[in-house]
Amino acid sequence: MNDSRRVRRQNLMLFFILLIVAFLYSLPTLAMIGTAFKGPAQALSNNALFPLHPELTSFRTVLESDFLTAAANSMKVCLCVTVLCVVLAVLAGYSLSRFRGRVFSFYQMALLVVQMFPMMLLMLPLFLIFKELGLLDTHWSIILSYTCLNLPFSIWMIKGFFDTIPYDIEESALIDGCGRFQTLVRIVLPVSLPGVATVAIFTFLNAWNEFTYANTFIRSKELLTLTVHLQHYVSANQSSWAEMMAASTLGIIPSMVFLLCAQKYLVQGMTAGSVKG
Amino acid sequence: MKKNLTRRPGGGNGLGYALLAPATVLLLVMSVYPLLNGFWLSMTNRHLLKPKQNDFVFLDNYITLFQDKEFFGTLAFTFAYTFCVVAISYVAGLALALALNRNVPGRGFFRAVFLIPWVIPPVVAIINWSYILNDQFGIINIILQSLGLIDKPILFLGDYALIRPTVVLVSAWKQMPFMMITLLAGLQSVPRELYEAAQIDGSGFWHTLFHVTLPMLRPVTFISTLLSFVWTFNSFENIWLLTSGGPNGYTFTLPILSYYTAFFRQKISYASTIASTMVVVMMILSVIYFRIQFRGEREPRLRKGRLKTDE
Repeated sequence: MNDSRRVRRQNLMLFFILLIVAFLYSLPTLAMIGTAFKGPAQALSNNALFPLHPELTSFRTVLESDFLTAAANSMKVCLCVTVLCVVLAVLAGYSLSRFRGRVFSFYQMALLVVQMFPMMLLMLPLFLIFKELGLLDTHWSIILSYTCLNLPFSIWMIKGFFDTIPYDIEESALIDGCGRFQTLVRIVLPVSLPGVATVAIFTFLNAWNEFTYANTFIRSKELLTLTVHLQHYVSANQSSWAEMMAASTLGIIPSMVFLLCAQKYLVQGMTAGSVKG
Repeated sequence: MKKNLTRRPGGGNGLGYALLAPATVLLLVMSVYPLLNGFWLSMTNRHLLKPKQNDFVFLDNYITLFQDKEFFGTLAFTFAYTFCVVAISYVAGLALALALNRNVPGRGFFRAVFLIPWVIPPVVAIINWSYILNDQFGIINIILQSLGLIDKPILFLGDYALIRPTVVLVSAWKQMPFMMITLLAGLQSVPRELYEAAQIDGSGFWHTLFHVTLPMLRPVTFISTLLSFVWTFNSFENIWLLTSGGPNGYTFTLPILSYYTAFFRQKISYASTIASTMVVVMMILSVIYFRIQFRGEREPRLRKGRLKTDE
């Protein structure tokens, strides 16, 4: 009894320590949100983390700039990448999970090895290849390269999900006269929706957050994705912190939505590769 | 266990190959071919401003590289940077994982808060950092000044003595959530009886940590530090966005040197040589790390298979 009260007191103390640590750790994010609501004048004069009188002027300025075009570009690219990646990963992951043979085990090894390569080694030749194909400065260049960047991990993860689904379910469907492909779509896929969701969310977030490829391959202002647009915006408006922070705040909305609504899948994805061993 | 679940279906492997085909084609065209092309590129003398120049020079670039002082300086900093980022994020992640593994009020809230840096775009994270580190409006300088700890603002991103620790801290800040989440997942798989036994034996916090918890976490530690090492060694965005490698190349890491060589000095072949060398360096290090981890290890691994991470 005495002991559990001690533990509870310890936990309460830990709570307050965590509160302080979490505050310090989130300081960059808090400063961003606070400044976004300050408005241009207050951002220079008001040192408080959050303003007493929040203003929305900075947000309005941002929304009237090219921000929405960039956000739409990002959304388009991310949706294409997510759909492509999920479809290809489901097909390949199912194959790796259900078929045995030297080709399939070699393939799995290759997927792991590909992930070890530095992106620079991939990006430099891709730059030249896209240049020759005339794909530079098109959305195709980043859609294709993002899909390839995410594909190995996605296949690997979705294969893991398929591995946990007993083959018996499929077998009975097969006996009932379902084709193999139909079995995959009608029987296996619905059961493994959490896996598909994890892959989709991860791919989407990775594509949404990516900067380097987009910055290298895309030049036209009207084709820029959101991250590159933000970076340009920052370089162009060095002193208007309020607007920069408002733009940044809007830029993390998808991430925050996933964090709040789909944290389970995020965590699953983060640990899938490392804890499974 | 697993083998019984996923028996090989009857018939041949034809469908298996067919299902693999689309992903394979894309990966071959967009990943494998460019990677091989990258190695090839490192043995030519291509230059972005001289499109006609494209000769095979074999190992010339590599010979130049091994006499390149900038390369070795950068290599040394890349190692130091990677090591510090992985070490700091591991220790911080472990501390938080240990705290969140207890029955603390508001666990879910804290977990979400500590995950934020992992999910937001690096561009935004770095904009925020350069804002709070700013010498005029940055909250860090404002707080330090109002506390009377410093007389004039600190130039975190301009001072040679501070800029390297600063980029390390910012990267560790970004890497920490991954460590925390994987270690938390690992902790949740440690059987409770082990702790109870240690407690009955009168083992204190540090003793339990070093003799029960850390040995049990060994497989998770191995994988998560290996992955973090690879990511940090290859990472480009954090430092590039924060300092662009400056001042004066003082925070160049190998990916940044490679990028800078390609797109600012236009020597794309030489940049590819740097990137190819990174692959070799990393392969060697990974092999060494694997050796250290598995040398004479006969302990049973932690439960294989997926570990539940959510309560």
